[in-house]
Amino acid sequence: MSSNSIFESFLTSQGYALFESLGQGEFSPIGDYPAWCRDTFELHSRNATRVRLDEKSPFLENFLVDAEDFWSSQAEGSVSSGNWMERDKSGREVPLEAFALSLEKKRILILRNLAAHFAEQQQWFQTARDSLLAHEQLLSEIQKKEILLHCIVHDLSQPLTAISGCFNLLRLEHLPPPVEKYVEAGQRESQRQELMIRSILSAFSGDLIAQRSADKSGAPPPDLAVCVQQAIEEFSSAFKDKGVNLRFAPPSNALSDWHVVGDAPRLDRIFGNLLENTLRHSPPNSTVTIGVEDQGESVLAFVDDLGPGLPPDLPTTQLFALFSKGKGHSGKAGLGLYFCKITVERWGGTIGAETRAQGGARFWFRLPRADADAKSYERTTADEHEDSATNVAPPPTVRRSPPAKFLRILVTEDTEINRELVSELLTKRGHSVTTAADGIEALAALDRNSFDVVLMDEEMPRMNGLDATRAIRKMETSTRRHLRIVGFTGNATDEDARRCLNAGMDAFIAKPVHMDKLYQVVEYQTEKSQQIGEAQSAPDVPAPASAHQPAVEDESVAGHLHRATGGNKKLQRSLIKTFLADAPKTLSRIRRAIAKKDAQKLASAAHALKGSIAIFGAAKAVSMARGLEAMGRSGHLFNAGPQFRALESEFARIKPELLAIIPSPKPGSKTQQKAKSRRAR
Amino acid sequence: MLQKKICMLGSFSVGKTSLVRRFVESLFSEAYQTSIGVKVDKKVVRVNNEDVTLVLWDIHGEDVYQKIHMSYLRGMSGYLLVIDGTRRQTLEDALALNQRVMQEVGKVPAILVLNKSDLVDRWEIDSARESELSAAGWIILRTSAKTGASVEQLFSQLAAATLTE
Repeated sequence: MSSNSIFESFLTSQGYALFESLGQGEFSPIGDYPAWCRDTFELHSRNATRVRLDEKSPFLENFLVDAEDFWSSQAEGSVSSGNWMERDKSGREVPLEAFALSLEKKRILILRNLAAHFAEQQQWFQTARDSLLAHEQLLSEIQKKEILLHCIVHDLSQPLTAISGCFNLLRLEHLPPPVEKYVEAGQRESQRQELMIRSILSAFSGDLIAQRSADKSGAPPPDLAVCVQQAIEEFSSAFKDKGVNLRFAPPSNALSDWHVVGDAPRLDRIFGNLLENTLRHSPPNSTVTIGVEDQGESVLAFVDDLGPGLPPDLPTTQLFALFSKGKGHSGKAGLGLYFCKITVERWGGTIGAETRAQGGARFWFRLPRADADAKSYERTTADEHEDSATNVAPPPTVRRSPPAKFLRILVTEDTEINRELVSELLTKRGHSVTTAADGIEALAALDRNSFDVVLMDEEMPRMNGLDATRAIRKMETSTRRHLRIVGFTGNATDEDARRCLNAGMDAFIAKPVHMDKLYQVVEYQTEKSQQIGEAQSAPDVPAPASAHQPAVEDESVAGHLHRATGGNKKLQRSLIKTFLADAPKTLSRIRRAIAKKDAQKLASAAHALKGSIAIFGAAKAVSMARGLEAMGRSGHLFNAGPQFRALESEFARIKPELLAIIPSPKPGSKTQQKAKSRRAR
Repeated sequence: MLQKKICMLGSFSVGKTSLVRRFVESLFSEAYQTSIGVKVDKKVVRVNNEDVTLVLWDIHGEDVYQKIHMSYLRGMSGYLLVIDGTRRQTLEDALALNQRVMQEVGKVPAILVLNKSDLVDRWEIDSARESELSAAGWIILRTSAKTGASVEQLFSQLAAATLTE
């Protein structure tokens, strides 16, 4: 037997069938056909010297066009058909793959039966795609949960608006001192509840964001020692009720820095869960000690009790597992310690518990220290925390003196009691108030009468506040007037602020509405809301801006941003940081879409960039992004490359302006050290 | 007899294979078995008093693991762009794929198939989006390979469209 025939026999035994192309769709077999090849392609005669394979299978017919192209090109290597399925004469599916290659100037076609490995390959793909489906489903569930959470918060805020409004109205009456005291107490408690709702919202929103993305939230890093002190203040009365003493163990190194990775609301929940757990197991007249320890690169927090210690038969891992309720099911839902574990681990920390040699249990967690940049951010913004991001209007000042001008105000709010209360507060202040129950009624009222300010609820039936605002701004393009629109929203995040600004609102107030804040925001710069034409003749009085209002030609980014945010520095920094983090990614998406000639993705990415740049004015960049979006939508991408390069240049021009608005890293900060290290390399 | 090549296109797990199986064999299986590669089936349909053989190319779903060879589309008379109505992302992926198909083969008859209409309580594509797509020129059909709803109509309608081209 010649070496050639040995090789052919070997290939046949391995599931390969070899053919030489004779042209015109005809092939000559090399060696004998394997049985599967005879059964699949009905090649009955063992001695046939010519077969037409293109007539045997539509798939093969299609592939032979590619094979002919390949052979004609005289290229190196081979071309593959990819996998396909044929049925053999018994109806069984046969997985196949075809290759075309040139050997010693002969045009060779190889058919390979993949059956031997197909089940394994199928299993791989099945597992991978099942995982993708599970991941998609998880993301979808998270999104639904987030929407539900916002709905709940919105609903919880609604009655508080009425309660707070009633207290505000009562405070305007001349009440006897004892009654005034009760009113103040009621108002204080309703505000406390409002803060609780907001902290729930931000804590859960934080969880959800963290699950979807590893991005930092931009919030300042918490001081662990401060969190411990706050936990003691919050829980001391609960411990006292049970006759347990709660004490703080002062750290040995009092001068140490206790800033850690994480965020304060969730740290508060961790301490809360650990203390609740400890309280359940602490005997009366015992002492629980809570403290922090400096451990170099990380900080340790601990809660020590004098209870029975950990159950000896329960592994620590199970203690922190989901729905683990401890011995005798003394816990509640079994979520508390699980929450602590996933949160601490997400921040790069560790958590554990142990029985102490001297008796009782220690629950502890260790978190990495926060970097210097994050702390400097906290110092620069700490003084702004009082002016929450929920209000993009000017900094608060107590303003109970009469307003400079009595205003015509349109209050648009779907909940009747809220509408009445806000109207009453504004009427008592001397303003003239008209009400509307939704966006459609508001537009009708604006059609009939002139107003100085519109208060616009965000969520309403028929037409919501965002759509109504967009409609008003659209109409203003012909009237050249700018009406001040202040949004109401039950939610209170930076994202809500961005949404309101993007729709064209000038400011917004979170519900429940506080009297002083309402007056400040409504009366702020109302005198300055004039016709654009008038503003030109009165240059000292800038017209209010909205994110969608066309940028004034040649206006600096800083100037536009100041107008768009009402001068709120914290919001400006937040917007810039988000933009600078996202814009390069979006530019990359645009670049990839152009390279792949993917018009749909180009339109989508350019649209996203256009929206985010518009917040900063930057009319030129907006126009370029709009141009790219239009190209994507039309499918004509021939000019997309040059347009994109121009947009990149414009982005590079704007970036330093934006960076100049946010504080630069302090000398010696980690960011600066990293940058130096990169330059040195 | 007249033959028309029809391609089934769309993301993985949207129901392309199930639609073909329902149409050709009147069968359906709840278990998801992912497709690797291409499977070609044939079925004769009667359109305008004429028998037409539909050559159905069931092409594997596109994802990070498998990309579609555009050469599979050669000679295609029409295609079904299949979407899982309970997964919004499959619509966006299908529209992106459609752009590539249009660049490769130009305009040929196509139907946007919103499959899994039996799971309407988990539907993620709202009627406003459907109207938008209709306004953009798409012929849209809601189908269920599970119940067989609109499956025959789907293939007949596309076959008729290929004849009028």
